[in-house]
Amino acid sequence: MSYKRPRAISPSGAQKRPRGAGAASTTITLGTELPPDEDSDDGTFVPVWKQTVTDERGRRRLHGAFTGGFSAGYFNTVGSKEGWAPKTFVSSRSNRNKDTTQRAEDFMDEEDKAAAAESRELETAQSFATIGRVGGSQNDALFGLFVTEEETMGVKIAQKMGWRRDQGVGRKVCRPARLDDAAGATAHTFAPKDSRIMSAAKEEVNRKGLGYRSEARLGATEEKEPEDRPMLALPWLEGPSKTKAPKRAAPKKSSFGVGVLNDTGSDDEDPYELGPRIKFNKSLGKDKKPKKPSKLAKAGVEGIVFKPKKASGESSARPQLSYDGKPPLPGFVLATQIIDLTSKKRYPPPKVPSGWKASKSTTEPAHAKSHQSVSDAAKSSTLDARARASLLGEKLLSGKSVFDFIPKDVRDRLATMTGKVNLPQGRGEGAPEGYEDPNSTKPKDLWTFVPILDKGTAAAALAKGATGWMPYAEDPNKRARYVSFLELRAGLKADLPERAGQTSVSNWAKELQEFAHAAEVFKPTTGLMASRFISSTATSLPGSGSSTPNENLVRRPAARPQDPAEQAAKLGMYGPMTRSTFPFYPSRLLCKRFNVRPPPDPPSADTNVDGAAFGGRTEEAVSKSAMDKMVHEVLSQGAPALQRPAWVGAPPEQPVEVSEASPIVPGGEHANVDVEKNDALTQERAPEDVFKAIFGDDDDDDDDDA
Amino acid sequence: MPYFPTTPIAKLTGHTGPVHAVAYSSSPHSYILTGAADRTIRLYNPSKAPPSSVAPTSSAAYAPGLITKYNAHGYEVLSIDVNGANDRFVSTGGDKIVFLWDVQTAQTVRRFTGHAGRVNRGVFGGEGDSVIVSASFDGTVRVWDVRSSSYKPLMTFSDAKDSVTDVLVFDGAIVSGSVDGRVRSYDLRTGYCEVDVIGYPVTSLTLSKKGTEILVSSLDSTVRLMDRGNGQLLKAYRDQAFVNTDLRVRSTLGLNDSVVLSGSDDGMTFAWDLLGGTALHKFRHSEMREMRGTAEKKEKGKKDIVSAVAFCPSRREWASAGGDGNVVVWGTDS
Repeated sequence: MSYKRPRAISPSGAQKRPRGAGAASTTITLGTELPPDEDSDDGTFVPVWKQTVTDERGRRRLHGAFTGGFSAGYFNTVGSKEGWAPKTFVSSRSNRNKDTTQRAEDFMDEEDKAAAAESRELETAQSFATIGRVGGSQNDALFGLFVTEEETMGVKIAQKMGWRRDQGVGRKVCRPARLDDAAGATAHTFAPKDSRIMSAAKEEVNRKGLGYRSEARLGATEEKEPEDRPMLALPWLEGPSKTKAPKRAAPKKSSFGVGVLNDTGSDDEDPYELGPRIKFNKSLGKDKKPKKPSKLAKAGVEGIVFKPKKASGESSARPQLSYDGKPPLPGFVLATQIIDLTSKKRYPPPKVPSGWKASKSTTEPAHAKSHQSVSDAAKSSTLDARARASLLGEKLLSGKSVFDFIPKDVRDRLATMTGKVNLPQGRGEGAPEGYEDPNSTKPKDLWTFVPILDKGTAAAALAKGATGWMPYAEDPNKRARYVSFLELRAGLKADLPERAGQTSVSNWAKELQEFAHAAEVFKPTTGLMASRFISSTATSLPGSGSSTPNENLVRRPAARPQDPAEQAAKLGMYGPMTRSTFPFYPSRLLCKRFNVRPPPDPPSADTNVDGAAFGGRTEEAVSKSAMDKMVHEVLSQGAPALQRPAWVGAPPEQPVEVSEASPIVPGGEHANVDVEKNDALTQERAPEDVFKAIFGDDDDDDDDDA
Repeated sequence: MPYFPTTPIAKLTGHTGPVHAVAYSSSPHSYILTGAADRTIRLYNPSKAPPSSVAPTSSAAYAPGLITKYNAHGYEVLSIDVNGANDRFVSTGGDKIVFLWDVQTAQTVRRFTGHAGRVNRGVFGGEGDSVIVSASFDGTVRVWDVRSSSYKPLMTFSDAKDSVTDVLVFDGAIVSGSVDGRVRSYDLRTGYCEVDVIGYPVTSLTLSKKGTEILVSSLDSTVRLMDRGNGQLLKAYRDQAFVNTDLRVRSTLGLNDSVVLSGSDDGMTFAWDLLGGTALHKFRHSEMREMRGTAEKKEKGKKDIVSAVAFCPSRREWASAGGDGNVVVWGTDS
């Protein structure tokens, strides 16, 4: 569109200036010329940047690329009064957008701002510690406000001057390095050793106002020894020499009008008179009164310090720190001795006046006297067991001890074992009348030979024998005895195990022990072991050594519950009897991979009448009674006619011939089984419209669409 | 069945152990994959292996018709299944792993681990062979996802109470046969599993083309054709000489579902008429010939087993794999 337009044709001859100056114009122009049409395209050359694009109705269509673009705004309203004014593009490359952080106030209206201003509180910045200092001098309230946790200016200055932490202050010392291997140590300049500041060597800074009365107010004072340094002091500037100085307490302020500065120098007028009667050093330098025990000196003999009990007078003058290292609260004195609470004073009970008689007298004053313990009563009682029994009206047992019943040799054994010779004689009597064992004494003795076997083990051994292997296959008689023993121990029988022929009791007992050991093998597996095995459901193959003698010998405790479906299958009655159905739920992804619609959600428990747990349950299509009936019918009438596959043409003319080995009874009548209808399928599922109602609007029916 | 293929047309040799699995390749069905107890899977071109071919003396040499060997199994190979595109196949065996192979490169693409026992069967399933269904000695049927890289099975069916010997996939159903004598048909559409009690350990399952009947081999020397719809017995195939009581022997349907074919414990292969139930043919695998009459009862050799049979879906041709390590392909003369 920005082709260069052809130049305008050279001016017509009418417009040409006559060449000859003298020649008059040959044409006459009438009327005024129309103003040149700016918009009309008269074919004159217009530079590209002046060209405009208009639509067929003459409206401008193309604005500048940066001023609205093609047909900008709503129908060319750009730049008009109704439209938006195009902004010229400003590159943000050099003029980046200022990243102004937004404040909460930007989003507040006047009301919010007023509310915010009201709720404002004045607080210190983070670097300030709490107001005051715990354990610090309380009279520094104002300065305590400004104590910062930061380093003080003094530290900063000292650091600027080259001081480092853990160094001493002062000139550098030239000394050999103190290494562990001292050999070949050359001298270097080191910073002086940092000497620890004695926290005790601290002066109290007192800023007191007019009329301040310090501890003079209190009758007694105790000397304070605050741990903290004065807040604005630089203790390390005091120098090492000062640390050696004994503790100096600041002079106590006295009452108004008389101060240290007012000291006239006369000793008689002691300004500290009002304070505690303690002598202070008032001058620096030499210690004038070395009698005062220094704290440092005490520290050396801390281990063997002796604390006199009667030191109350001294303790008032001596600094005392409580267990947490702080002086006790003003007005309190540390206890010098621990009060023994256990050794409480005991006061005697109040004396009962003579002749006093309680209004509440016991009705039976003699009762208290007769009350005595059971053991005392037993001691004092002269009754023996017989007398007590007669008192209680009990029927008298034959009053015999154990020794009356044990044989003599047993009694002797007891006597030798216990070492007591005064045991009664063993008489070896029988049981008293009315208490004998119903069985004769002889079988009772024999019972002791029958070994104990766990009931479960015996039952398992029996069950195993009923289905498969059982020991003593070579000796049927022995096996029978074994079985009877197992039945006894399984609780199925109660009589004594039989004894074969003329075997002696010892042999018989030995055999029974052997049986017990053999049955132990069949102990049911428990726990981890049981979980590892699944009992096989595959039955033994037909014709594999039928064990008819076993059948006779092994009296089955109960018919092994056999699956009716298996029974039906063995009879060749395949169909509804051998078929069962249980629900499962395929995973969604599996259904997706098979491109089938997943079944409507877990075959809901509400359709199950009994609400059994979903998943593992198999449901029999035919009830047990119906099954038995069908089995009976088939056995009596023959198997149902075999069905042809749907795609096989005509049914065969003659009954299907089956080889002789077949257990199937060929041909015959139909059993009363509706083979067309499977109850298992019809009864289990809810009607389709139920599913539709619930799952009708399921989204993923793409497999249907496909 | 006048045209039942009775002539050996090829003999695939080379395996040094009993062949447990035979599978025709997909659509052209021109190749045969065999898996054997010698831990190898071999791909054969049966047209290059004449019946007279003998196994090479050295194991390194390639037997006639042998195209490739697939070596990865550490135990015997028990089943092979080829996918529809013929580029992958799945093999399972004693090493509890389901192998997914690439046919061209002879490398395993995926190995699915998770079974606790030997895997008796592995088949492709789903749309576009997107899953592998495996049946294992541990009593579970697991469904593995081929498309995702998940190492976990999509689903595990652990309803069987004994070893699961065979599984097949048809449409939206997974059918498994177990030693506990049951055929379980999991219908993914309805969410119900139908359990058909066969009564004897089930060793092989084959589905008809329509999917409404299923051929079930069980260890009572009987092959049964069951109706999947209602679980009824359609036909039982037996023979006096047919013995299958101990071993997992495959059976199959052939010739457009008109013939039932089954191997046996004693080296015979039996072909029954599906409708009539009469034994049409008996073949002795080791002698590569059809047996006539019923009288001859040969002494059963140790290796005389026909453990797997496969029917070519498109041609009149089938293959029987024996305990002697050879696979015989039977066809018509012409």
